[in-house]
Amino acid sequence: MASSTVTSRTPRGLGAIGVIGALFLVLPLFGIVRRVAWTSLWEQLTSTQVTEALRLSLLASFLATLCALILGFPLAWLLARAHFRGRALLRALVTLPMVMPPVVGGIALLGVYGRTNGLLGSFLFDTFGVQVTFSLTAVVIAETFVALPFLVLAIEGGLRSIDPRHEEAAAVMGAGPWQRMSHVTFRLLRPSLVAGVAVAWARALGEFGATITFAGNIEGRTQTTPLAVYMLLESEPEAAYALSLVLVVVCVAVLFALRDQWLGRRS
Amino acid sequence: MVFNFGSTTALVSQVQAGAPADVFAAADTASIDRLRTSGLVSAPSRIFAVNTLGLAVKRGNPLHIRSVADLQKAKVVSLCAKTVPCGVYASKVIQRAGLALAESNITRGIDAKATVGAVVNGDADAAVVYVTDIAASARLVTTITIPTAQNVIAKYSITTLQRAKNAVAAHAFLQYVTSSAGVQTMTRFGFGRP
Repeated sequence: MASSTVTSRTPRGLGAIGVIGALFLVLPLFGIVRRVAWTSLWEQLTSTQVTEALRLSLLASFLATLCALILGFPLAWLLARAHFRGRALLRALVTLPMVMPPVVGGIALLGVYGRTNGLLGSFLFDTFGVQVTFSLTAVVIAETFVALPFLVLAIEGGLRSIDPRHEEAAAVMGAGPWQRMSHVTFRLLRPSLVAGVAVAWARALGEFGATITFAGNIEGRTQTTPLAVYMLLESEPEAAYALSLVLVVVCVAVLFALRDQWLGRRS
Repeated sequence: MVFNFGSTTALVSQVQAGAPADVFAAADTASIDRLRTSGLVSAPSRIFAVNTLGLAVKRGNPLHIRSVADLQKAKVVSLCAKTVPCGVYASKVIQRAGLALAESNITRGIDAKATVGAVVNGDADAAVVYVTDIAASARLVTTITIPTAQNVIAKYSITTLQRAKNAVAAHAFLQYVTSSAGVQTMTRFGFGRP
């Protein structure tokens, strides 16, 4: 078609800037690869501080993703399917942690779960002697807080794109609301669910600002991999680069696994 | 004049990475020696202030912490990173008190300010940091003095840098900081005379 050849022709200057833009994003990755000391890589990745941080990160990000899924699915359902006043406002509030500086998120969480002045935290501490902050629980809360919006938006988008006729057909055949959800909706939702879980998990894994503010920086207890990278950068830069490489490889693997979801399947 | 504050260790890395600085001041003397071996220092270093460590605990001292030894009552103790001077000094003080804190009870701040901050804003029970940093948050924490015999003396040193763009101004600033007027200013903020 004539019109498509016209629109597909890229102005020369624009293409050049586009290439610069791509380089701007890709070059820092080479910056990491270049600084990795390959010969001692294994040694650096098996030091106690590093393995502890990796173990903690895996555990906390897994728990956070699970929490985000449990809280996020019903929330996404409300946003996609329920009709109520203030839905637009609710969606705006839900997405806020995505754009908010994570350190601000950490301070906000202290305001709720802090032992001394926290809204719920002071009650928990005074009544049950339970301290949430500076614990694994705090790490999971911080990671859930930043990861949840990604999951909600992915699932909400998925729910909206489901053709309601599938569910109507199931209803006609006598399926109840829970049955319809588990047999029809969940199946159709799977691609967006997988994508949402993966992005939420990656975001939880990379969490830094809210964690250091709200959960502290305790080796083996709250020092997750990004925190360890930050601390190692001063003492053992080579180990910091090695650990950064691990995080980048994990993220690349996530993107690769989801290539169909995001790059769009060519028909 | 433009200031760039940070932990001594972080600032050393910045200077080594080519940060555009004229004067360098550190919370110890070893850091300037390290820069000197890299050929980045242009003048003999001078000590311009001394500092000691103190304990900062939650306001009102709910855990009744009276000494370094009492830190074993604390669930979370905030210390500077092991690699920055205030972390090294704190380890010495804790060792001298005959105390061995489990790493799982220690949260690490990237510098002295962040370390006190864990007690002020966060839920750490106590911090072992410079008395000057505690004094800066005096209204927000309760201060406990560490006796001289148990304490350490941090010697703050200053020098001009080889790559200084303003060598003359750098020298003048160094002269001022080490002058009696400069020392006077430092003592006003709780530092000791060199």
